[in-house]
Amino acid sequence: MSWSGLAVVWTKGRFNSHAKACAEALPARYGRSSAPAAPFRAGSAGPGREAKFVRLTELRLSNHDHLVQPLPAHDSPCKYTMAKKKNKQLLRPWCWYCEREFEDEKVLMQHQKAKHFKCNMCPRRLNTAGGLAVHIQQVHKLEPENLPRIENALPGRDGYETTKRRKEIELGLSAGTISQPQAKRPKTENRALSEDELKAQLEAHKALMGANEAPAAPAASESQGAVYGAGPTAYAAPPAPAPMPGPPGFPGMPPGAPPFLPGMPPPPGAFPGQPPFPPFPGPMPGMPPGPPPPGFPMPPGFPPPPMGMSPPGMPPFLPPGIRPPGFPPFMPGGSPPFMPPHNATPPFMHGATPGPPSASATPAPHGASPPPHGGSTAPPPLTLPNPALAQTNPDSKKKTDLKYPDPNFSPDERRANHPRYYFAKDKLASAPEFKTDAAQVSGLGGEESRGKKRARAEDFL
Amino acid sequence: MAFFGSTSTSNVSPAEKDVEIADPPPDSISSLAFSPVADYLAVGSWDNNVRVYEVGPGGQTQGKAMYSHQGPVLSVCWNKEGNKIISGGADNAARLFDVGTGQSQQVAQHDAPVRCVKWIETPQGGILATGSWDKTLKYWDLRSPNPISTVQLPERCYTMDVAYPLLVVGTAERHIQIFNLTNPTTPYKTMMSPLKWQTRVVSCFPSSNGFAVGSVEGRVAIQYVDEKDSQNNFSFKCHRRDQAPNTKDQSLVYAVNDIAFHPVHGTFSTCGSDGTINFWDKDARTRLKTFDMAPGPVTASTFNRSGTIFAYSVSYDWSKGHSGMTPGHPNKVMLHAVKDDEVKKRPQKR
Repeated sequence: MSWSGLAVVWTKGRFNSHAKACAEALPARYGRSSAPAAPFRAGSAGPGREAKFVRLTELRLSNHDHLVQPLPAHDSPCKYTMAKKKNKQLLRPWCWYCEREFEDEKVLMQHQKAKHFKCNMCPRRLNTAGGLAVHIQQVHKLEPENLPRIENALPGRDGYETTKRRKEIELGLSAGTISQPQAKRPKTENRALSEDELKAQLEAHKALMGANEAPAAPAASESQGAVYGAGPTAYAAPPAPAPMPGPPGFPGMPPGAPPFLPGMPPPPGAFPGQPPFPPFPGPMPGMPPGPPPPGFPMPPGFPPPPMGMSPPGMPPFLPPGIRPPGFPPFMPGGSPPFMPPHNATPPFMHGATPGPPSASATPAPHGASPPPHGGSTAPPPLTLPNPALAQTNPDSKKKTDLKYPDPNFSPDERRANHPRYYFAKDKLASAPEFKTDAAQVSGLGGEESRGKKRARAEDFL
Repeated sequence: MAFFGSTSTSNVSPAEKDVEIADPPPDSISSLAFSPVADYLAVGSWDNNVRVYEVGPGGQTQGKAMYSHQGPVLSVCWNKEGNKIISGGADNAARLFDVGTGQSQQVAQHDAPVRCVKWIETPQGGILATGSWDKTLKYWDLRSPNPISTVQLPERCYTMDVAYPLLVVGTAERHIQIFNLTNPTTPYKTMMSPLKWQTRVVSCFPSSNGFAVGSVEGRVAIQYVDEKDSQNNFSFKCHRRDQAPNTKDQSLVYAVNDIAFHPVHGTFSTCGSDGTINFWDKDARTRLKTFDMAPGPVTASTFNRSGTIFAYSVSYDWSKGHSGMTPGHPNKVMLHAVKDDEVKKRPQKR
């Protein structure tokens, strides 16, 4: 008997009744998950089989999927498992009396006949525990209560309990609980709800959702009906800038009037309290001495090289052999001496002097570095914007060890708030870079700066 | 299935083992993004830098560029042409890096760290969307220093994904807002996450008719936008481990750190704080592949444009706070050559 055959045979009796139950339950929102694993313990499948068990831990009703309606969105859909078709691997017959697992049912039966169902008063061996009990009672005239215990059994498993009782033991139920096949679900969920119940549920739902409506309200008021593609002039007061003592002209500056030349790095003094800028070894970044890198210019990128082709089809960032300043430090072994943070413009342009920008490229070793911002600003503790809305994790059905148990803050928020990573907001106030940059991206500015660069490049050549 | 595997489009014999990127960032990796036009991988890290690597056909990698934020980088993306990289950081800013010139500049500003940046390719042109812990979602036309529009979110933005015209934002306190980008300023739908624990990641189907949500409680929900598809919604457990080898309780529950959809087949990967990665088929509801356990949490993952390379990063994800930040913790980006039968949908048995 093959395993799959086994499953079908042993579950057949239940299958029909269960299918019927499912069909009846169809109007209600029953998911595939409505099939509890327990009724599918093949051990409970029929009389005469009581000694043989099959572990069907996750048997799913793949045979009559058509009867089953998936859960609607608002119902808890969490009971599904992705691995619903794995039942075949999980089918392992095992012996109730000694917990051994067997290749298949045949071996299990041989094992039990040899080890457990031996009559100790005659050489006879029986096939089942029931058979043994009847044999002893009838042939050796022993009273049922004086039956010898099953041999070679684990403690507590040496009895002649019927299958039902065994399942009760397994499930930790008291005797007699399983007098008939377990109901699939409490019936109450099937019937239509009465008016009062509906009202109560609505109230509960409202109470639950009421908290969420408060923060949702401003969303409507704040979405200012802006249109895509509308120019920035449409907004007299930009909503974005932070209310902080910004640099002169920062918040309201019209685009196109940058305080600094596009492409120029911010003056070194712009970052008080930060590591001083390393001296630029060569030409100013942003004023490239060479022509733009071939194959990687502004217009629509490079042609997609076919995956799996050799590099010739691959447009390089750079002509082969020439290493960009500021980015050569990819050297085998050793810590990669990347540009230090805040040296925000690593130029990688063709024609520049090959080689690393020497002293400027101080490696920023991991771990040894002090907090990036001098540690002068201790991060404030994380606070919820609205403490009233603090979340709590729901209870789990079974005991779980949730590895990230904080319901209110993401690990990233916690990390960003650690002194090592914390970025003090007031740093921004002293960084006029934004203005420059933003202006530079503006279409015209971008074109101009590129034009300048091209011109410079030609000069250089 | 090896026979079929050999007929796949790629003629290169893929490396048997996953390749490690040379010279990875020295601190945890927060975000990975492949260029939409070439095999260039942008890597955002907690060391404040974004690094760009070129991936060769055999998986060999070479660092190509690097630029910095003033704070840790939390998210990176590319524009459609693949000549600009945009990144959002804990310095409350999004920066744009021009691959052609090697310049980086600030292009967006928030009042709190920028958790997510996404490039949206609309028929009218490219637009940058930034989601921040300041509870706003902002759309930017890169030619202007001010946002085109600011949308108030119900909570801090934790995750965001785009598959035009669908944009999904996952926030703190389990809110999920769905935007139809033909009307990007008002949410098309606001809902609570189908999962009961903190939202960690949302990822849109490439078909843009739904999305997947991953929570800190080792669970992923598949959610369709349209009400009529809602019978296909479901969720499943993943990234769990047994307390002891012999128990089957699956009681150690790890966060789902990232979900990435395969651009061609629509199957997807989940990666978790437990260091495992799985490929799944949501339609057949089967697991397609399991990776060997990585030596640390897997923080981010992405497919390249053709779905032939799967990149993932192994680094500390702060799931145990600062005390979990041990000195010898791995920080690496791995490249996996994707075989067809790992990501192809299986015929549905129904």
